[in-house]
Formats: sequence, structure tokens, C-alpha cells
Amino acid sequence: MSALRVGIFLAFFFGLFAIQESAISLIHFPIAGFSLYLAIAIALMAHEDGNAAIITGFLAGFVLDLSPTSNGPFGQWALILTLVGYFFTANRESIADLTTSPITFVIFVTLGVSAALLTYIIFGTLLGEHNGSLKRDFFIIFANAIWTMLFTPIFLPAVGKFRQLALSSKER
Amino acid sequence: MARGSGNRSRLLLIILLVTSLFFITLDLRGVSLTKGSRSVAQTTLAPIQRTVSDIFSPVGRFFNDIKNFGGIKNQLTAEEAANAQLKSDLLAAEDVKGQLTQLKGVLDLAGRGKYQVVAARVIARGSAASFSQTITLDQGSRSGIKPDMSVISANGLVGLVKTVTSSTAIVQLISDPSFKVGVRIARSQSVGVLQGEGSNTFSLQLLDPAGTIQVGDNLLTNGSDANRPFVPGVPVGQVTWVDHTTSTLTQSGDVKSYANLNDLGVVSVIVSAPTSAPAVALVPTPQPTVTVYLTAAPTPVATGIPVPGTTVAPTATPSSMPVPSVTPTAAKKK
Repeated sequence: MSALRVGIFLAFFFGLFAIQESAISLIHFPIAGFSLYLAIAIALMAHEDGNAAIITGFLAGFVLDLSPTSNGPFGQWALILTLVGYFFTANRESIADLTTSPITFVIFVTLGVSAALLTYIIFGTLLGEHNGSLKRDFFIIFANAIWTMLFTPIFLPAVGKFRQLALSSKER
Repeated sequence: MARGSGNRSRLLLIILLVTSLFFITLDLRGVSLTKGSRSVAQTTLAPIQRTVSDIFSPVGRFFNDIKNFGGIKNQLTAEEAANAQLKSDLLAAEDVKGQLTQLKGVLDLAGRGKYQVVAARVIARGSAASFSQTITLDQGSRSGIKPDMSVISANGLVGLVKTVTSSTAIVQLISDPSFKVGVRIARSQSVGVLQGEGSNTFSLQLLDPAGTIQVGDNLLTNGSDANRPFVPGVPVGQVTWVDHTTSTLTQSGDVKSYANLNDLGVVSVIVSAPTSAPAVALVPTPQPTVTVYLTAAPTPVATGIPVPGTTVAPTATPSSMPVPSVTPTAAKKK
């Protein structure tokens, strides 16, 4: 992953983070909320090859850790999304099969977001955070999964295009 | 080749994981670098959040109305476009009116409690990427807001100021699962601990083994040393369910919040309060009746409603005045 792409991704994640914190968080979703940031980050990671998925996960997590409303310590999201990135790298061939069809890709992103949120709760519990009752946490994850499944098809083509634009000629 | 790539991946993973754990350790040890980075992020985000909030507030409602019209949307003519523009303006005015109503309610409560408050507008809500329940206010340390100050709405306690930048403040809502507040029952004066559960309902645990809870009991904040983080006597909620099992030492129950946490537009941060509790007089009445008082010298309304961010001194309004009062009587203090 080139230094230029790291810079582009970092700027992209900052922009996305601003949208999530300023606009998306203002919308009153009928059930719980929706994290556009996580959905796009997971979709982008799934597109990446080799080590790039791990670095993308770390960058996405690092920016998400800047959230002033986060109740977790700085670095928690970086840790989780780095692990998710490694999971994508280690299972590259299986994931490539899933990303060929748009429908399976949407399901894959949805499962990825849910897994990331679940890992956040598990790590949070280990670090002594109060994230509420399990019932409530699972409800939030379920609601996030529903919204991710509904909205991902809208932005998925744009994510693919953005990644193509971010690649250097050598990487292409 | 593949083995070399796998090793590189593992090495990269270890480096990044160690970096993340390093950040976590720094944060948990209270190093200001990590806290400062969140503060910088909040300061950077504040103008964007304010602008988006200004635009989104009326536009969001406008889209809702358009959605309801459904079938006739295709028949819109140039005149209807003009109507839509007027409607948008009207919605914007309605939005301002709604905010004024909320502000008036908050100031009524603050006036009766003799609290000195800073009114603020809610410009953002907590991110869906975290499980915390927070709101962001458009006033910060420049307006005298500091961490650990109580935040109230027209009906009662909303939360506690968690972090402050020069122009914004993040408030941890009482519904947050990690939020705890000492409360007392207005009827019996028994003391207990109230904890958020992620919704408008909270759990109450009495501290006194001899104390009892009844459905309908009104709860007020017990207050803290030097009024921080909590000022005494702020209405919190009403008991809706009591656990009658005899296996626990003290009684517990569910409490419904007086404040509607899903509908917060304008709130007030209590910057100073009297040391004595204002008692039950602040508890919202279930079905308020409007009473009009005729006075010889009317209050000048034009200067009566302060803009968000203005520090408002407590008024001389007697605490026995019925709720809601008809004219705002708060006075500006420079």
C-alpha cells in the first residue's frame, strides 16, 4: 500500500467521520441507529488485497477513535478494525468469492459490521466499560445490521470507484 | 512466496496491534495526548455540526411532509414550488418556535429552582458506532460551562457535562448505561441510586433497607458536594414499577424519565445553584392547566427570552407559582 494511498484513505476517513458525526447521527432512525462509517470501512477493507486490508482497518479505527462521544479508550476501534482487516487478509480467497456477487457482498458487509460491533462490546467489557444490558446491545447490533443491509447497495458502487481512483498506476 | 507474504502480514498485524494497545494504555492511564486529540476533533467538528444542524433541522421535517403528500407530488406546478418555498420558511419558523417553547420551559424550571443557567442548543447526538448516549451542545467553556455540571430540560434532569471545548460541550445523557445519580424519593426522602439503561427507563436501587418505593413516587436529585456534579432537587423521573421480591436487601424498581430524551432541542446547563434543595415544587405536574394572571405592569417580552449561550440569573418568581407560567420572566445578566 503506497504512502499516497494511505494519505488518501486517511483524508477519506476523516471526511466520512465528519459526515457520520454531523449528519447521520442527527437522523432519528426508527430502530436504533446506522453507522455509515463502519459500513463503508468494512466494504473498503473487503476490496483490499494483501496487507492493505490490515492497514485500511487500522486507519479507519484510528479515525473512529477520535470520536468525542466514544465511551471506549482511544485505540479500541483501531485494535478491533485491525483484527477485522487481518481476518480479511487471512481469508482473502474465500472473501473474493463472496464479493463477486453484489447480494453476497451486501450480506458480507452487514455481517462484518455486526461482527465489529460485537467485538467492540466484548473488548469494552474486558476493559470495564458499561455498554448496557446484553439485550439492548444485541438490539443495537441487529438494528445496525438492518440499516446496513438496506443502505449498502446504494453506496457500494461508489466505494468500488473510489478505491479504483485511489490506486496508483503501479498498484492497478 | 506465499509464506513470505503471510509472515509480512503477521508482522504488520503485530506492529499495528501493539500500536493500538499502546494508545489504549496511554488513554487508560489518563495521558492528555489521547484526550487532547478527541478535544481537537470535537473543536474541528463543531462548526460542521452547527451548520449541518441549522440546515438539517427544518429540512428534515420538510422531507417528512413531502413524503406524506406522495401521490400529488407529480402535479407540482410553479405555484406549488413557491408554496413549497413558503412552507419551508414556515417550517423553519416552526422550528424556531419549537426551540423557543423548549427554552421557555427550561427557563421556567431554572427560575423556580433559582439556578443560574446557560441555555444551549443540541447540535449533534452520539455516534451509532459507540454504545454511549450523548448529545453535543453549541456552548462551551467560553460560556462558563465546565465538566461535571448538571444539564436540565423543561421537565427535569437530562444529563451531565462530560467534556468541554471552547465552543461545545458533550453531555452524557441519564439514559447512558454508565450514568449513575444519587436520588431521593420526594414522599419518603429515602435515598437511592438511579442508573441508565439505554432508554427513557432507568433502574432505581434504594440504599436504605427500611425504605420503600411506591409506583408514582417522584424522584429528585440528591445533590453533590459543592453542587457538582449534581445540584439538589432537580426532578429526575417517576417510579413505574417496583420489584417486590424479598431476596434483595433493599427495594428496587423502574423509573420513567420526566425529560423526553429523544426530543431535545434546547437545554440548560446549571452553572450555579443555591445550596438548599428547592424540594418537590419542581416536579412537573401530570396534566398542567394554564392559569392567566392579569397584572397592571406587563413584563417586557422582547427582552425576556434570552438567546442560547446567555447566562440567566434566577428570577424572583415564587416557587409556588403554577406550571406552566404564561410569560417568561427571566432577566438577562451580562
